[in-house]
Amino acid sequence: MNYTARLAAAAMAATFAASAGAQELNLPNLSYRTGPFASTGTPVMNGQADYFTMLNARDGGIGGVKVNAYECETGYNTEKGVECYEKTKGDAIVTQPWSTGITLQVLPKTNVDKIPILAPGYGFSAMADGEVFQWAFNMPASYWDGASMILKALGGEDMGGLKGKKIAFLHLDHPFGKEPLPYLEKKAADVGFELLPIPVGLKEMQNQSAQWLQIRRERPDFVIMWGWGAMNTGALTEAVKTKYPMDQFVGIWWSGHSDDLQVVGQDGKGYRAISFNAPVEDAPVWADIQKYVIEPGKTESDEEQRGEVFYQRGLVMSMMLAEGIRAAQEEYGTGNISPEQLRWGLENIELTAERLDELGMTGMVPPFSTSCGDHTGHSGGWMLQWDGAKFVKASDHLQENRDEIAPLEVEKAEEYAAANAPWPTQDCN
Amino acid sequence: MFYRAAGQFKTSYRADQALFPVRQDAMLLGFILILAWVVFPLTASEFAFQTLLIPILIYSLAALGLNILTGYAGQLSLGTAAFMGVGAYACYKMVTLMPWMSPVVAILLSGVFSAGIGVVFGIPSLRIKGFYLAIATLAAQFFLVWLFEKWAWLYNYNASGAIQVPNLQSFGVYVSGPQATSMVQYYVVLAVVTLLTWVCINLTRGTTGRIWKATRDMDFAAELIGINLMKSKLGAFAVSSYIVGVAGALFVFMWRGAAEPNLFDVPLSFRILFIAIIGGLGSILGNYLGAILIVGLPVILGVLPEVLGMQTDSALAEHLNTMIVGALIIFFLIVEPHGLAQLWRLIREKLVIWPFPH
Repeated sequence: MNYTARLAAAAMAATFAASAGAQELNLPNLSYRTGPFASTGTPVMNGQADYFTMLNARDGGIGGVKVNAYECETGYNTEKGVECYEKTKGDAIVTQPWSTGITLQVLPKTNVDKIPILAPGYGFSAMADGEVFQWAFNMPASYWDGASMILKALGGEDMGGLKGKKIAFLHLDHPFGKEPLPYLEKKAADVGFELLPIPVGLKEMQNQSAQWLQIRRERPDFVIMWGWGAMNTGALTEAVKTKYPMDQFVGIWWSGHSDDLQVVGQDGKGYRAISFNAPVEDAPVWADIQKYVIEPGKTESDEEQRGEVFYQRGLVMSMMLAEGIRAAQEEYGTGNISPEQLRWGLENIELTAERLDELGMTGMVPPFSTSCGDHTGHSGGWMLQWDGAKFVKASDHLQENRDEIAPLEVEKAEEYAAANAPWPTQDCN
Repeated sequence: MFYRAAGQFKTSYRADQALFPVRQDAMLLGFILILAWVVFPLTASEFAFQTLLIPILIYSLAALGLNILTGYAGQLSLGTAAFMGVGAYACYKMVTLMPWMSPVVAILLSGVFSAGIGVVFGIPSLRIKGFYLAIATLAAQFFLVWLFEKWAWLYNYNASGAIQVPNLQSFGVYVSGPQATSMVQYYVVLAVVTLLTWVCINLTRGTTGRIWKATRDMDFAAELIGINLMKSKLGAFAVSSYIVGVAGALFVFMWRGAAEPNLFDVPLSFRILFIAIIGGLGSILGNYLGAILIVGLPVILGVLPEVLGMQTDSALAEHLNTMIVGALIIFFLIVEPHGLAQLWRLIREKLVIWPFPH
């Protein structure tokens, strides 16, 4: 009897240990710390990793379950990306594809594999339509939101100041760069400004003399840039060379990387970039990161990097994912959530001002909430301005014109679903 | 011992000229075919299908197409990726304009378009040779990728400028698009690759192949013995581009699921050229060996640390991977400059006389 009881206890302990061992939230990140775009990828990846390291050390994970946030290196190569996706999808509860090319390939598979895609601030703008894109999330703001915010910052609340103006749209000739075109074309017709799309080929990123010659000839009132990686530095150095006024030059959030601006330094003073996150040096979250991550030496970031917009954006991205996990854990009463449950969680993020305060991240990202029909959250953002040495917040909170963008989202989402039929949708009402 | 040909008597010219004069070779091929057609599909995981089996076959086919042109007919080409792109875009337009068309038929037909384009860009080969011709095909590379970017009709005016493979059925089974299973896609790829390989083996062993080889070895000598160089060179461009185009259509429809124009840029051309060179120019088998080395090996090396239970930083593993594969490529080229196919030929010769070398 005694023996049987002992055996049973041992067996139970063994099962418990086994299940405890399996209890981990697997959050793969298809990172790019190598390859041509490593310089932009590394700070964001460091921020993402550091936030989860902090949660693991401080709270023992999320909801008592340890977070296993690991990276699979893609070098921004689509082929490697698909390899990573296939390798990680088995036990992952989320996938973070990073490059537009990888997102393009992974997106249609999500309905079959049933894994949520988290593409914070990138991917298709139409992903906001949660009824069509059940498994895709691009909070806190989409590219169309960004374009709308930029136009409002330049032309005032009703964009009326842009009437009769000429705006050059300098963009990477790639799905990423073309993304805001439908919205900008629509606004150009509505408001009455002249839109001048200037594509920069992938091979011309570092040498944009032809594009800037065109800008010099056309003398646009504003240049809006959808650039990334080497294209940003290329554009900024050319702008300095052609003496284009920096305060008329505005970029999307991926064009607001401090390292790119450091190349031009003081000459870049006045350049602005829209951003859904802003660096806050004295946010309370820093104390925890200092204590649990930096002091024990569990980080790959350095002091200078941590003050930058991109590193802090990484923190914000991980925070959003953690909030989604938390929401799902509370709803389903289990720590070890499934991908389906995380999907629900990401759909029900309530990031209020109070919640941000609790997280110690007030001011790092505007409050927002997601819902079944809204997978973006539409937080709005701020203009950041380069002061010659760093980016500083240079505007009040800007909010995009929802009523203009929503119909466009529905239209493009339907187009996508039709082209990929049979495409399952959900009903949110 | 393994390759004992004793007792295998040839009683007719036909038997003497058979593809495999030694029975063991035929058995080896049969074994490989059973592996590919039965064993792999039954045992492979989703990961193995998507990162090893399907891409290796597709890359082999693309290299095979290039090998016909460069290895057999001696016309150096750097435009392979662009011709793959022509195949992919042609296939995309066909299935979106004619949704009733079976995707397998569309894939086989898409090669016709790239063959046409290939012949056009092959015309300079009548006047120029060698490196100069390579530059002329490079023009095809730049022009066609530019066309894929600028001609919106090709990607159905999609705002992102990329093509996305729709869900398509053939005989009630999803063959392409996200709904298709890897197993089905693997069998489609395997069937097409097997068929085209069989065609190529026969082409290169017959009159056409001999004409190509004569053109490659010395084209004016070939002309003197009555070979029509225009037919020979343009024929090689047509056959090669057809195969490359089919490989391109498979590449996007059976594997990638989506493609943006810059996918078909020079790096892909070089990758396929490397497969053909490392595998062995002027051989069919070499393309498969080359693809296994260049496409398959990095994937295997990538999962190795995990299988062995080592904890490594993924960026570090990636760097190591690049270094190891690079070193191996150099090693193989030093050991056997004529490629892996030649290496196998030498091994086979040794096996034939083993264990009693003269």
